Amino acid sequence: MAATFFGEVVRTPCRAGTEDEEEEEEGRRETPEDREVRRQLARKREVRLFRRQTKTMLEVSLLEKHPCSKFIIAIGNNAVAFLSSFVMNSGTWEEVGCAKLWNEWCRTTDTAHLSPTEAFCVFYHLKSNPSVMLCQCSCYVAEDQQYQWLEKVFGSCPRRNMQVTILTCRHVTDYKTSESTSSLHTPFLKALKTQNFKEPPFCSLLEQPNIVHDLPAAVLSYCQVWRIPAILYLCYTDVMKLDLITVEAFKPVLSSRSLKCLVKNIPQSTEILKKLMTTNEIQSNIYT
Amino acid sequence: MASRYDRAITVFSPDGHLFQVEYAQEAVKKGSTAVGIRGTNIVVLGVEKKSVAKLQDERTVRKICALDDHVCMAFAGLTADARVVINKARVECQSHKLTVEDPVTVEYITRFIATLKQKYTQSNGRRPFGISALIVGFDDDGIPRLYQTDPSGTYHAWKANAIGRSAKTVREFLEKNYTEDAIAHDNEAIKLAIRALLEVVQSGGKNIELAIIRRNQPLKMFSAKEIELQVNEIEKEKEEAEKKKSKKTT
Repeated sequence: MAATFFGEVVRTPCRAGTEDEEEEEEGRRETPEDREVRRQLARKREVRLFRRQTKTMLEVSLLEKHPCSKFIIAIGNNAVAFLSSFVMNSGTWEEVGCAKLWNEWCRTTDTAHLSPTEAFCVFYHLKSNPSVMLCQCSCYVAEDQQYQWLEKVFGSCPRRNMQVTILTCRHVTDYKTSESTSSLHTPFLKALKTQNFKEPPFCSLLEQPNIVHDLPAAVLSYCQVWRIPAILYLCYTDVMKLDLITVEAFKPVLSSRSLKCLVKNIPQSTEILKKLMTTNEIQSNIYT
Repeated sequence: MASRYDRAITVFSPDGHLFQVEYAQEAVKKGSTAVGIRGTNIVVLGVEKKSVAKLQDERTVRKICALDDHVCMAFAGLTADARVVINKARVECQSHKLTVEDPVTVEYITRFIATLKQKYTQSNGRRPFGISALIVGFDDDGIPRLYQTDPSGTYHAWKANAIGRSAKTVREFLEKNYTEDAIAHDNEAIKLAIRALLEVVQSGGKNIELAIIRRNQPLKMFSAKEIELQVNEIEKEKEEAEKKKSKKTT
């Protein structure tokens, strides 16, 4: 053991050799109890896709059951609020599936009876045009669950003739730039697209060395590998909770080919958004 | 690399950052907006009122606090940190009055608060205060003052400034609209503060709180009705300006 200048205690590699190695090996050997715990944990963290109306699990992937030409995915509460107010109010959307998952970020320990608000990953298609699919994902999908999520939604051999649009937010402190962060006009949009996406984006592309994280990154990588045209619109904001100004920052995306025909009444959408803000306002006394 | 320097705030990072102080500035952005304007004969503090829970007593959720009869402040950031700073400042105001038989100057009490904040950026085991403050008042010489402090312990005098969420947007509005004409009359200075807040306040006038200090007069908190009147006047003026504009174009 050694102490660093900052007071951290770190484990230093032992040059003496064998004794320590034997101890480490003993620690590494897995017992049947360990295996059982691991199995239970894997079962707990499984991503399940099912239909809420019939309470049945989907046997095939979602897009195999409901092939689509346009797939719009909103990840995070601001992106979800944007789609709810500006897209979902213009037409009748039918729920076609719901992804149920549990991880350490969920606020419940009961993994058997997750309510829709806790496992918020719902899929809809437009009744008048079922080839338009929408996903509202408000829950956090952990790293080990992202591949399962992709398999259950896209399947192992997805169609290439669809266009995927992903909307999400990130805190502006994650944005790396040579400019001073105080000069940034938050919120602002950045785009990242796959090679097969040919349309021009509605904002500047995300510059290096910035990267995308979590589920949006997983979806984009998946689309790049399978040569599906996909674009991610990432909104950098300084307010990660539900916020009117952050949600409205996504408005330029309404002119895109995927969303143009789905948007009908913008003033009404703004009113719906304001109502959503007031009903979802969380009382917190920490900040004034 | 940054994480190694977050633990002890007395440690600089290799490129000269005190990360805890910068993180404290992020905490300030989580508080609702506050704006301060220094007029010719008036100082104005306007804040975006936090929505109060149904069962909560509204009087105990205040963003504008008097430090003495002639000085008041608005803050943005951590509520508990603000309470501690305000209490210390209030005690200092009275202690000063008892010791030298004169009320504090606005600059003195601002310097006191800023020094307190700076101490907490240079002590082992302590974190900086997560608040920025706008301190306004009149000195004995009758000159209006507006100061702003931040978690690093710096303080500066301003003609007009904003802190908290969307402070940048409000500051840009003030830079465009703060003119000598705009602040010459008390009512115009009040309207400027409200207009600046309306740029970012989500639900209009009912979420605004306003306080003013006039020369040789105590702090006055505006009632909801008075604010509503001002907001209605502003909206009327806006409509008239738009009508004039459309007439000009046709």
